[in-house]
Formats: sequence, C-alpha cells, structure tokens
Amino acid sequence: MDDDGRPFEEVAAGLLEPLRRFLARRTDPATADDVLAETLLVCWRRRAELPEDPLPWAYGVARRCLANARRGERRRTRLTARLSVVDPPAATTPGPEAHDAPDPALSEALARLRPEDAELLRLWAWEQLGAAEIAAVLNITANAAAIRLHRARGRLRAELRKTGDGAGHEGSREGESR
Amino acid sequence: MTDEPDVPGEPDDRELRARLRAGDPAASLPPADPRRVARLLEDIMRESTDTPDTPGTTRAGAAPAAGGARPADLRHRGPLTWLVAAAAVVLIAGAAFVLAGRGTGPAHAPVAGAPTSRSTTHLTLPAARAGARCPVVDTALLRGRDLAVDATVRDIAGDRVTLVPRTFYAGRPTDLVVVRAARPDPTGLDGAVDFRAGGRYLVSANGGVVSVCGLSAPWSRHLADLYAEAFGS
Repeated sequence: MDDDGRPFEEVAAGLLEPLRRFLARRTDPATADDVLAETLLVCWRRRAELPEDPLPWAYGVARRCLANARRGERRRTRLTARLSVVDPPAATTPGPEAHDAPDPALSEALARLRPEDAELLRLWAWEQLGAAEIAAVLNITANAAAIRLHRARGRLRAELRKTGDGAGHEGSREGESR
Repeated sequence: MTDEPDVPGEPDDRELRARLRAGDPAASLPPADPRRVARLLEDIMRESTDTPDTPGTTRAGAAPAAGGARPADLRHRGPLTWLVAAAAVVLIAGAAFVLAGRGTGPAHAPVAGAPTSRSTTHLTLPAARAGARCPVVDTALLRGRDLAVDATVRDIAGDRVTLVPRTFYAGRPTDLVVVRAARPDPTGLDGAVDFRAGGRYLVSANGGVVSVCGLSAPWSRHLADLYAEAFGS
C-alpha cells in the first residue's frame, strides 16, 4: 500500500467532531450516526488520497454518503407509500434548522432558497468554510464557489427583504451587488 | 448583480454569517464519548485489516456495493453508539495531532492498522466476446458489483496480472489483487481491460469475475467519480 501522510487516528482526530456536527446539522441523529461511521470508513479506505487539509474533502465524502442514505430512505418511503396507499408528498425536506429555530424569519428564508444555495450558505456559516474550501467540498472551482456563494447571499437577503427583514437585522438594503 | 469573488470581510457578510451561525442546530451538540469514539475507529480499522487470505475468489457477499461496504457490527450498531462517539479521537490522538501540527506532518508516516499479513483477492477476467454490445457505464450498473478497487499493475506474467490496490471502494480490502485471464494474453482483449504494467486501473467485479464493457478500465477522473458516487465514497 502506498499510504501517505499522518497516521489515520491523528487525521481522524481532526475530522471526527466537525463531521459529526456537519451531519447533525443536516439529518436526524440516527442517520447522522450511521453516515458518520460510513464516512469515516470511506476516509480510512481512501486514506492514501487524503489531501493535506482533509476536512473539506471529508465533508464531500459525508455529503455523498448522506445522499446515498437519503436515496435509500426515499426508496423505503416510496415502498411504504405504495403498501399503505398513503401519499404524503414532501415538497421540500427541511433541514434540522427548521425545527426549534431561534430565528424563524431566517430559517424560512433559507428554506425558500434553492437547496444548492442553502447548502452553500450552510457550509459558509455553519462549517465556517471559505470559498476555496467550499469548492473542495462541492468539487467545483474556487471561482465558481465564490460566485455562487455571493449570489446565494444576495438571494437570501432578497428573501429576507420580502418579509420585511433586513439581512443582518440592520434594515434592508437596495440591490444585491456591491 | 456582479460576479465578484467572495469578500468575507464585508460587514454585511459578517452580520449575515453571524446571524446564520446563531441558528446553528449543532451549536449545543455535546462532545462525544471518547470511549465510543475509540471503539468506532477500532471497528473501522479492524474491518479493513482483518483480511485473511481468500484464495479462489472474492468472498461471496463480502460487501454490498451500494452505500459502501460496512461491516456488520458497524451497520447494526445502535444510534447512541455513534451519537456519543466522536470526541475520543481527540483524546486518543490529540497529543500526536498537536505535536505534528495540522497538515504539516511528515509524509509517508506508517499508517496504523495497515495490513500486517499479505492477502490477495483473486479475480478472473472473462474472455471478450466478439461483437459484444456494451451499455453506457453508470452508477446503477456499478452498484451491482461486490468488489471495486483502484489499483496499479505491478506485473504481468503470462495470464496473471498482479495489481497493488490504492483504494477499495467496495469489497474486502487486501494487499494485492490478482487477475487471471480466461485466455493466455490478458492484454489487449477487445471489450475487456487492457492491462499494462505500471498502469492504474479501476476494476470492479462480481462473484470473482471482472466486470468488463467499460466497468473496469484504465483510471480516469470520470470513471473514478462514477465509482465514488456508486459506492458512496
């Protein structure tokens, strides 16, 4: 094997808690636990590919593992729906932020955004990532990440203005570009 | 709207970020139990290293492809195990982490838990069929494979190709993967895999038989992305 870099335990020390929080922000506790284990298993197996700063890369792995888990859950839900002839259409899948939100206006504005924009903003604010790191998570260029992030912030401000709420509790601003 | 790059320092952005952060649902998440974290990592690393020699073929039912291969004890663990599981690694490896410095540790340090005994996955490369029609390779096709590996050809001897794995996407990891061709020359098979010494390949298999028709091929970013998506990595 051509495994490079630090021992895996050492790498995992830096990854585990951020990954755990990343997942707790996006799914229910049971799924988060399962996906955390899945993500770490992938990191272990692909340890030879870990970049020098492995966290954004690991977030990307966690996103894909979570997407897989959600696909499986949707399959189960569809089967259950067919069996029970109950059809509860899920318009959107609100993240954990929709529950017990301390800032309902912000949560609702976030929920009205396209999922891609909302996820960019979560990565930016909750994971505290910059554009280059977001780019690594989403496997896009840093420039594209910066542009999308800028636009997502503008769209969120626009959504907040629709409800008479300024973006930063400071009153509304005209226009999105600066 | 302009397409200007991210400007993290602008006051409005800082305010917006702070406001979003105030609603962070993980803000009150307590640290995980160190003992459970240690056990989690132990399970993960043991799963990949308890690899006895498996002459003949890949193990039947070794790992489901979709969603990644998870050891049974990981898959059936109760939620609390993982929920509480995170912080211990910090205790276990914190000292080493501080000493090494984040991202500045020496390269090529030995990886703890690496296999200590040589183990080999044996596969068979089917003979190519003249005029065979191949479907477009996609993740759905790949998910049906019980083994998927990114590996480099170490040597080719007769009908035997020996590969050194870099990453197992699915299946039980081993130190080597040996592919035997159904005909004497394993190179240049039409529709099969053109193994060349030193080449890097993505190889998938089912029941010990290499999947051809583009499912196994020289490494490419596109195919690697498909593998990663199909096997949840």
